[in-house]
Amino acid sequence: MIRSGKLATGLGLAGLIVLFGLVGPLLTGDPATIRDVGLTPPGGEHLLGTTLTGQDVLAQLAHATRGSLWIGVLVGVMATVLSGVFGIVGAYAGGIVDEVFSLFSNVMLVIPGLPLVIVVAGFVPADQRGTWTIALVLAITGWAAAARVLRAQTLSLRNRDYVAAARVSGERTWRVICVEILPNLLPILASQFVFAVVLAILSEAGLSFLGLGAANSSTLGTMLYYAQNGFALQREAWWWFVPPGLVIALFGGALVLINFSIDEIINPRLRDRARRGRDVVAVEAEIAPVDDDAVLTVRNLNVVYQAATPVHAVKDVSLTLRRGEILGLAGESGCGKTTLAYAINRLHRPPAEVTSGSVVFHNGADVDVLALEPEELRQFRWAQLSMVFQGAMNSLNPVTPIRAQLQDVLRTHRPSMPAAQREERCAEVLRLVGVDPARLGSYPHELSGGMRQRVMIAMALLLDPQVMIMDEPTTALDVLVQREILNEISRLRDELRFAVIFITHDLPLLLELSDRIAVMRDGEVVEYATAEDVYLRPQHPYTRQLLASFPSLTGERGALIT
Amino acid sequence: MTTLEVRGLTKKFHRFQAVDDVSFTLTAGRTTALVGASGSGKSTIARMIARLVRPTSGEIVLTGPDGEPVPRRAYRDHVQMIFQDPFASLNPFHTVEHHLARPLRLHGRPRSEVPRLLEKVSLTADFAARRPHELSGGQRQRIAIARALAPGARVIIADEPVSMLDVSIRLGVLKLLARLQREENLSVLYITHDLATARHFSDEVLVMHQGRIVERGPSDDVLMRPQDPYTRRLAAAAPDPEARFRQGGQP
Repeated sequence: MIRSGKLATGLGLAGLIVLFGLVGPLLTGDPATIRDVGLTPPGGEHLLGTTLTGQDVLAQLAHATRGSLWIGVLVGVMATVLSGVFGIVGAYAGGIVDEVFSLFSNVMLVIPGLPLVIVVAGFVPADQRGTWTIALVLAITGWAAAARVLRAQTLSLRNRDYVAAARVSGERTWRVICVEILPNLLPILASQFVFAVVLAILSEAGLSFLGLGAANSSTLGTMLYYAQNGFALQREAWWWFVPPGLVIALFGGALVLINFSIDEIINPRLRDRARRGRDVVAVEAEIAPVDDDAVLTVRNLNVVYQAATPVHAVKDVSLTLRRGEILGLAGESGCGKTTLAYAINRLHRPPAEVTSGSVVFHNGADVDVLALEPEELRQFRWAQLSMVFQGAMNSLNPVTPIRAQLQDVLRTHRPSMPAAQREERCAEVLRLVGVDPARLGSYPHELSGGMRQRVMIAMALLLDPQVMIMDEPTTALDVLVQREILNEISRLRDELRFAVIFITHDLPLLLELSDRIAVMRDGEVVEYATAEDVYLRPQHPYTRQLLASFPSLTGERGALIT
Repeated sequence: MTTLEVRGLTKKFHRFQAVDDVSFTLTAGRTTALVGASGSGKSTIARMIARLVRPTSGEIVLTGPDGEPVPRRAYRDHVQMIFQDPFASLNPFHTVEHHLARPLRLHGRPRSEVPRLLEKVSLTADFAARRPHELSGGQRQRIAIARALAPGARVIIADEPVSMLDVSIRLGVLKLLARLQREENLSVLYITHDLATARHFSDEVLVMHQGRIVERGPSDDVLMRPQDPYTRRLAAAAPDPEARFRQGGQP
């Protein structure tokens, strides 16, 4: 179960220190015993030497570790419970309860912690200042930040469908919180608990060092306090102050290491970690292109995700895109169609790796896309081959107007273009996609989904590319808006003669729009033919299955209900 | 026979009128499709019927088999909902067994019915021990259907039950719903933006636009011979490869 080195190290260290705190005091003698040996360096009878008053440092360390751990656990539990109550309950209840709880957490958050702790600790008379008092003070000053995080997460979980489903099935509120929401917060709660423990041990050490810690109890902080008062540093008695400092540092470090891996332990889906591959591409020798009219040739392309078990996402795919052609790429989720599109544009990131094959762009001379140097690639992308991404309408930057986002592309690729001409070009592409150029000053949220999608297409048109790859450009849109966008794409293609690779799961849409269609399944192109052939004479069983999955609006009714 | 009647249902979110004076009746043994573009108010109606959202005005009256209105407390024994996204509607931390056993227990049925529920949705009993991340989208949605059936519901609100699924398994899930509807004599409200499946899987169609029902009637009448201009545009916008290749030969 323990896979990462970080986690193993963290757990090992923390385990050893906890064990020392639990068992140590039973094995070492009374730490308070005063002997008249004075300061003795480590060795012989006293493994870690003695203090100024002849007390055994090892015995003190064992007791102090136990005391510090105890405070840490107390504070951890109290702070976690407090943040849970104020964060989770408030967020789930909503309304006035949430307002009040969240106001209270915010007030607690802005109270500066350590000074308050110092004031409170100083205010309580020393003889009443027990472990519990200190723990309580530390917990009360330390829970608020965690509560805010929990609140935000609960607000998001509260709107999940499975919570709604539990309500519809008639679950009571407290059960919804405890059974449906709480388990999903476990990674956060656990890491906050660990963090609270670390913070408490450190704060307590700080307080004790200042002489404001718990009376009559020994912690790592009090040890340091006595070491300081006994001029350990000046006397060069390192064995007196190094061990407690080291235990604090090691325990803190161990818990931080555990914190890194908590999500990995609790969430089983995250355990499979991808290995970072090399971003080097192996390119096979290119055979001369067959098609004179081709603008893009993909030959025997293979893309593999180099995970623990490598996933062969694109298998030996060969496609030819002709000038002005709309090539439909049909397939279901996970069939590799998006990976293929990314690889054609070299946008794939490790662990995805092109293991073999070639992508050649024909524009006068042939350009081997996979062999381009970073700078060449930067100039090639968008200018020759642009892309409209999946969910593109949400990929506009919400805080800058459309104008700035369009002009950025021109500024990057045509730095010499005068400002007036830039403005004119931006207006021109907006007109091309049927958006009023007056909208240049608008922010994305002021436009409808369909209009944002048109702006994304306009952005892809800016540099007059030869090829445009569109990945599910209309999936998030209404049928009516989808129809408008499709008409727009057909029209622009006819006017500007660029070629389009149109990726979607919606086969009827492709049948209507594209010239040729490639049907992908499990990374392979199983059928590659004209739209007419795919519709009227499908060869592969999977194509037939896909075709049958879309009932026709006009076909015989009731034929499907068996 | 259980009937659910919606009268003058209206929902306002601040100033935005999401649902405007909507009335219809769901009767046992019939599937009613509610079609419309996103933002037309379809899901808000579903959530009001499932009592997740409180209506601004109007009423939802559930009449039991005895002809008497069903008391508020027993409402959820009769009305259940299937959500759109099977990846979001199952809690990743719980097993399939938990998802089915809880509603069974809440409505006074024995946990031992879990295998029978799984069988109803064409899954084997060994699915009970699995967790959502081990299931495919189609299997998840089958679990969600089984969960809706667990309390013995007579009225099922299916809010876009297949739009998040892969295309090749959509029809299978819809056929399953249709079969259950016939076998158990359920009333189903099938909410969708897809006119073709609405036509094939429902008896009656309601077309929504901007919170109102603009056209209603038997599904063939509404979708084959639409009267309302909005319905016409909607019907014309759906991709229709047949039109392109009609001269090409066989359909």
